[in-house]
Amino acid sequence: MATRTVEILTGVPALAAERSVSWPKRTKAKLANGLEVVLAESHTIPKFHGELFFRSGNAAVSDRAPGLAEMTATMLRTGTTKRSSRQIEEDLRRLGAALSSSAGQDNSAIAFTGLSEFAAPLLELVNELARDAAFPEGEFERERRQKLEEVKLERTQPGFLAGERLRKVLFGAHPYAQVSPSEEQVAAYKKEELEKVYREFYTPENALLVMVGDFDSAAMMKTVEKVFGAWSGKKPPAKIAAQPANPRGRKVYLVNVPEAVQAQVLVGCHSITRKHPDWVKLGLTNSLYGGAFNSRLVMNIREDKGYTYSPRSGVHPLRELGFFSVSAAVRNDVVAASLTEIFYEMDKLRSVPVPEAELADAQNYVSGVFSMGLATQDGLLSQFSTVALYELPDDYLETYRAKVRAVKPADLLASARKYFDAANMQIVVVGNRAQIEEQAALFGDVEFYDNAGKRSAS
Amino acid sequence: MKGLQIAIQSTALKNGLRVVVAPDNNAPVVTVGVYYKIGFRLEPKGRSGFAHLFEHMMFQGSANAPKMQHIKLINSSGGVLNGSTQYDVTNYYEAVPSNALERVLWLEADRMRALKVDDENLKNQRDVVKEEVRVNVLNQPYGGFPWLDMPPVAFRNWANSHNFYGDFADLDAANLVDVQEFFKTYYVPNNAVLLMLGDVKADEGIALAEKYFGNIPAGAAPPFGDPGEPEQKEERRGHVEEKFGTLPAMAIGYTMPARRTKDWCAMALLDQALHGGRAGRMHRELVLEKQIAVEADGGIDDIFGYNGPTQMTTRILHKPEISSEATLAAFDAVIGQVRENGVSADELEQLKVKWRSDYYATLEGGRGGYMPKYGLMHLLACFTLFDNEPQLVNSILDGFLAVTREEIQAVAKKYLVPEKRAIVFRTPVSADAKEAA
Repeated sequence: MATRTVEILTGVPALAAERSVSWPKRTKAKLANGLEVVLAESHTIPKFHGELFFRSGNAAVSDRAPGLAEMTATMLRTGTTKRSSRQIEEDLRRLGAALSSSAGQDNSAIAFTGLSEFAAPLLELVNELARDAAFPEGEFERERRQKLEEVKLERTQPGFLAGERLRKVLFGAHPYAQVSPSEEQVAAYKKEELEKVYREFYTPENALLVMVGDFDSAAMMKTVEKVFGAWSGKKPPAKIAAQPANPRGRKVYLVNVPEAVQAQVLVGCHSITRKHPDWVKLGLTNSLYGGAFNSRLVMNIREDKGYTYSPRSGVHPLRELGFFSVSAAVRNDVVAASLTEIFYEMDKLRSVPVPEAELADAQNYVSGVFSMGLATQDGLLSQFSTVALYELPDDYLETYRAKVRAVKPADLLASARKYFDAANMQIVVVGNRAQIEEQAALFGDVEFYDNAGKRSAS
Repeated sequence: MKGLQIAIQSTALKNGLRVVVAPDNNAPVVTVGVYYKIGFRLEPKGRSGFAHLFEHMMFQGSANAPKMQHIKLINSSGGVLNGSTQYDVTNYYEAVPSNALERVLWLEADRMRALKVDDENLKNQRDVVKEEVRVNVLNQPYGGFPWLDMPPVAFRNWANSHNFYGDFADLDAANLVDVQEFFKTYYVPNNAVLLMLGDVKADEGIALAEKYFGNIPAGAAPPFGDPGEPEQKEERRGHVEEKFGTLPAMAIGYTMPARRTKDWCAMALLDQALHGGRAGRMHRELVLEKQIAVEADGGIDDIFGYNGPTQMTTRILHKPEISSEATLAAFDAVIGQVRENGVSADELEQLKVKWRSDYYATLEGGRGGYMPKYGLMHLLACFTLFDNEPQLVNSILDGFLAVTREEIQAVAKKYLVPEKRAIVFRTPVSADAKEAA
């Protein structure tokens, strides 16, 4: 804290010599049908984790309806040409397995984990879901009703309402603006549309299989070839998305929830993707700003001022575009005070170079947390998947820490100036309008919305 | 079947601090935990929410590490930290690159030895905790349902029935004398266990525990209140308003058998039969087949982690056009089925495989993707503090895998009865729901 004297500690043990970090070897293959495979061993428990990705998600079909890829993924486990919904669930239990199917903006995925002793039958089931989903009519009607209730519930969650508004403001006509369908859109979903998405997306040429766990990679590769080898299908054609909005000047969007007893603040602007050369520098800048517990923003508005429990900032990379955001759920009477501090800490990073010692702390943090992913099977899976999905260099994991160490204070200053675009930050506040409107209006012209996402008169 | 054995070494220091080391040099990361055997159940009367507020105070400064330094020292070593307050324990934990192990132990020892906080720190964290309660409970649909709604309906002993997150008036009344008193009473080495998991050798871990914690003086054995409940002889019901959501909800909780009995093992498998995801009978019957509910899940929360009265709880969000009575009748039909017929041999086999697989996942699993070995740490801590037997982590699975069909049906008949349950109805006040009613 700038306002507090730094107290010097005595007796703190020094750090011992760092143990080197070595990532497990990856065994990679591309099957004749185009399926990419990445396998790595981790023998912590007699289990394994896997994920079968398809490189197309909601964004690729947002012109047909928002959330269509997600609804398609939901339907996979409700029946195949060989197994009923109930049979699928019982078979998963029999294999000691857990499975989920979902879709984000850029990818669809079937994630699974199970006992190593039953790896082959679990892969058979995953293969069946990817190739032979049957989309039973009755199951579709039920899942659609479930989805309707889900989208209704979302609209009562302040975090969802804030995120939805920010995405719409930042991305406009680009598919990334669509966070979730409306009730009307869900009601209009057709089974045939989902089956079409399924045929287009779920093909081996469009797929990536990553598995980590207690198995022998060579033997597992043979099993994978046996299970998935006979599958065929082309990659769907790439689409050109509409240009995103890129709003200039600060503006405030107030989503009115009259029952709210707290205000959800979310501030954001466009940012970069993981492939961008500034990614590591910006990651460090964010970590120091509001990405870690001991970051400047958390120390300021939580530990010094007590405005909020969980302030956080983050850079969110999608495949084509990224965005930066700062969030905090704050007491109603400190909305303006919180925004003031959010911008103060941003402006400070944009104008005053970070002290070397503080940068070194942030470098330690970012590089240490990165290595935590080594300790668990799903941590490894997540890192290997990121590298493969974003098409990062093969040595990305091995060289990441050195890249973090090479960052200088001048890089942080440049990153903050370029990417913490304070003058064009968009401000969303979700809460009881009567209690927060005057405070919000101090930061720009205000547009008002209701919880259905409809703009209301000022 | 391949078994899984976790290498463990444990000891107790002269001051009563238990130490457990679980070495594994798979990754250059070490997880450190300190568990104190006091949670929100036995916090002082008139001070609801105090155990949790106190947990926040443990990050506010100790004799040699003032405010901000705990967090800064861990983060700047490349590590993450957190704490949580539970029914019967409060934990503090860090995962760091293993070269920072001594630093973490130094910090944990410093705050076990002497807490150094002032009124400003207390006011600050009281404000933070209120925003925590708002963001997690008061400003969320179905916030606190049923974990905060159920206790006042189900239990008669204040220890089990009060507001664990804290009434704001009680949080406001808490003062620094309370803080130091609570610290002196419960945060003594003889009421705690220190755990080190991952990249540390067993002998080295124990030597370091001695070095940093060995000279912290033992305290008097803490006086624990009695969490016992009078025997329940009638069904209990309560009602809570839902401010944000539009679906009517209910939670049904049945009193659980005592910890580490045969009945307890059988109930765990029965819980898996009822609440095991989409294959579980509750979800299958109420959501997938009869399509009365949108959600029907729940179960025994953290079966190893409690040391007093608890329940197996089903949480149901149902369609507004279905009445509460009809929903409850459908729930009762599922319960009636297992009481009358138990489970099939094939179903039991599936339940055991899944239970074993989930148990392994707990042993390996982190917390929120950032805290490696959280699950193993939690089990070792609870088995040490409640059972004085950390090695249970390697044997407790056997009891569950030995459960028979007859035992499952017997516990269904004995425990799943109306006079041993409590029901909370959470009813929307929104206009939307009123129209549909």
